[in-house]
Amino acid sequence: MSKSSFSTHLLVSSLVVIAFFVMAPNLVSAYRLELLTIFLINVILAQSYRLMATTGDWTLCHYILMGVGAYATGILAKMAGLPFYLVMPMACVVTMIVSLLFAIPLSRTLGFAFFIASFALGEFVRHVWLKFHYPFGGARGINGIPKLEIGQGGEWYFIDFWDSRNFYYFTLVFTILTLVILFRIDRSRLGDTWKSIYTDRELSESIGIDVTKSRIMVFCVSGFFAGLAGSLLAYQIGSIDPHNFGMVEMVYLIIWCVVGGVKTFWGPLIGVLSMSIIFELTRPLAEWRPALFGLILILFLVLLPGGLETLPARIRELLHRTGTQRGTG
Amino acid sequence: MSFFSVENLTKKFGGLVANNNISMDVEKGEIRGVIGPNGAGKTTFFNLVSGFYRPTSGKVTFKGQTISGMATNKIARLGAVRTFQRPALFSDFTVLENVSIAQHLNTNASLLNAIIGHDNHREADSLERAIEIVDFLGMAEDRDTMANNLSHGLQRQLGVAMALATEPELLMLDEPVAGMNSGEKAVMVNMIQKIRDKWGVTVLLVEHDMRTVMNLCEKITVLDFGEKLAEGSPDDIRSNRAVIEAYLGADDSVT
Amino acid sequence: MGVDTIIQTIANALVLGSVYAMVAVGLAIAFGVMQMANFSHGELFMAGSYVVFVLYTLLGMPFLLAVILAFPIVAMIGLAFERLIFRPTRGNVLAGFMASAGAGFILQVLVGQQWGVGLMRTIQTPFPGGAEVLGASISYQRLLIFPATVIMVTGLWYFLTRVKAGKALRACAQDPEAAVLQGISLNKMTGLAMLLSGGFAGVGGALMAPIIPVTPYMGHTYAVTAFVIVIVGGMASIEGAVIAAFILGFIHTIVATLYDSVTATMVGVLFMAIVLILKPTGLMGRVKV
Repeated sequence: MSKSSFSTHLLVSSLVVIAFFVMAPNLVSAYRLELLTIFLINVILAQSYRLMATTGDWTLCHYILMGVGAYATGILAKMAGLPFYLVMPMACVVTMIVSLLFAIPLSRTLGFAFFIASFALGEFVRHVWLKFHYPFGGARGINGIPKLEIGQGGEWYFIDFWDSRNFYYFTLVFTILTLVILFRIDRSRLGDTWKSIYTDRELSESIGIDVTKSRIMVFCVSGFFAGLAGSLLAYQIGSIDPHNFGMVEMVYLIIWCVVGGVKTFWGPLIGVLSMSIIFELTRPLAEWRPALFGLILILFLVLLPGGLETLPARIRELLHRTGTQRGTG
Repeated sequence: MSFFSVENLTKKFGGLVANNNISMDVEKGEIRGVIGPNGAGKTTFFNLVSGFYRPTSGKVTFKGQTISGMATNKIARLGAVRTFQRPALFSDFTVLENVSIAQHLNTNASLLNAIIGHDNHREADSLERAIEIVDFLGMAEDRDTMANNLSHGLQRQLGVAMALATEPELLMLDEPVAGMNSGEKAVMVNMIQKIRDKWGVTVLLVEHDMRTVMNLCEKITVLDFGEKLAEGSPDDIRSNRAVIEAYLGADDSVT
Repeated sequence: MGVDTIIQTIANALVLGSVYAMVAVGLAIAFGVMQMANFSHGELFMAGSYVVFVLYTLLGMPFLLAVILAFPIVAMIGLAFERLIFRPTRGNVLAGFMASAGAGFILQVLVGQQWGVGLMRTIQTPFPGGAEVLGASISYQRLLIFPATVIMVTGLWYFLTRVKAGKALRACAQDPEAAVLQGISLNKMTGLAMLLSGGFAGVGGALMAPIIPVTPYMGHTYAVTAFVIVIVGGMASIEGAVIAAFILGFIHTIVATLYDSVTATMVGVLFMAIVLILKPTGLMGRVKV
């Protein structure tokens, strides 16, 4: 496939997908629409997590970073009473600062030590939320986070966010924006530099890439978008507590990225989409569901470690192998 | 002040002295070889000058700046770039992309530029020099080959090409012909000479293969038991009694 | 703070340190040989508690017999983990770690579906009453844990230094390649390591069953602590794990006495983060098992 026709395909399929999401509120029930909103937030989260994985740094604290964005939103919107156009950027920046505070010490470690240390720092933050009732509300968290407000009733630019469709569109805009920005980063020289760190850290150092600085930078950018996801989540569900950002949620995030794969930009999207669909379809399984997802995680890590994005290549490889066997036999 | 100089460089690991009081000066535009029998301390020496180890005492200066103990990426930014003994490359990328990534020092790869799309190296402009380097080093046919599909010889050549893409003033090559057949060796020797002749890049190489060093280098430093044994032109070294004895002792031969 | 409070704190710290040691030693064995980082080590602990619940509370077996049986039963679960998860993902610690998280989900669900989710299982202690030492009181049930740990750890030490299979395990931990060259089967050793790992977690959970609330999700806290300990103790070092377990036991108890248990956990995880960042190989370095 030539480069330009690939771009055309990409453009066309993106437009189709966007068209679906724009039409969605007219196609599904209010309940499903809320699920779709959460889905869009999860897309931001998964894609920002994938950014971290481009340098080879898998963390166990991404949900905590999302929580930082959510808590910042709760505090700024409820206690300080600030409007969303101040709250959201501030929440993202706060998350980025916390990410920086995490990343500086973490960048001294690699691989499994990095993974576990990120978990320790994350648990520390989660316990800070639990311990300090002011301003975090302890185990009960922050309730009654005000809805978004754009304009007052009667003003021409008034948008009523009591209508869940409007918040859905609001989230959709930010999801598309995030995807565009992260896609551009992925295709940029900077993105290649980050991927090169994953492929060969020593070699990257030798050609002048400041590996430590790059890893810290990726962590912060990733944290920024995790904060955005958290901020949207806080506005969507209206009340947050430490249990929203626990290890179970983190494992689900890992499942999305393992199932989809993280090597290409599309991996996490495939992962979060397929797993969200399975999640909804298996609602009748009720309490058995975590076991199913545990099984999926194991099966993928054992049988298809590269995730669904590598499936076509694997199938081709298998077909080729059986083909040659038949040829020789 | 020499272009690149090593002053009384010493490295100890616990009680073991791996490099002892080594000094040498390399002039701009020179191709210098560092040789020695097995266990002579060549690898330690290379790791010291390339910034991987911090010396116990002594220092390495490059263009008047002390680089010993400095992070490898900072040394690279100053213009002294190393290669690896193993085939080191970004296996998920093509030859041209590998070289292109290595060029990043000379581009403005900032986050903002990435987002607004001003640093897309897949666009024509910045590819030109990458193509120039690849073609100059005789790898034109393999521009779009995935790096991990190259032969061993070509992978090592790509390593040098990537180092060259950072526009260095000093190339430090770690056993550039290790594991190569004689044909590949000849190509590599030719390539190193071309790099020096066309771009005036100074070359410092640590190598086990005596014949290659004799053919390629104008001046050779010989290490033995972690100390400098001799220094001089290939002819001087060939007739140096101490060197011959060191190699005979190590059951190797000077050819 | 009175003498009685100090004695009480020391006694509590010893008991807590013992529990930690039991759980963490198991994790260190798995981690030391072939780098099997078991995310669901806490679920093995939980399984141990449920063994006591089923055999002692439901079936009326003697308590100590149930505790002893917890070793082989949970060890078999550990072996299943090794066969189904760690062997196929060998060489990739992270993948094994993530996959074992999936296995943890499965264990939680199986136990929850069989014996109820969220319902705490109260298990009557077979040893009511307690000892009074200088005004401090410790229940006999808690008191039992310290000698049990001493016996288990001594037994492990004997196994690793005197028994052939144990020596092979140590050799494998030190240098897998050399061990394989000497004819030691890597698969057997990883299996053995997970058997021991599961057994220790199981006995730890069994002994604690009458003291703490038994739920399918009880293991998480212990797993977190066990990871803190193993990392602080130096990843693959059994001695390191035991020492770190008691250090953490004391820190946790003292902070919890002075402040509260949330603060104590915070201090614990922060301690781990600091150790990892300053010295990624842990306090004891990569001391051999």
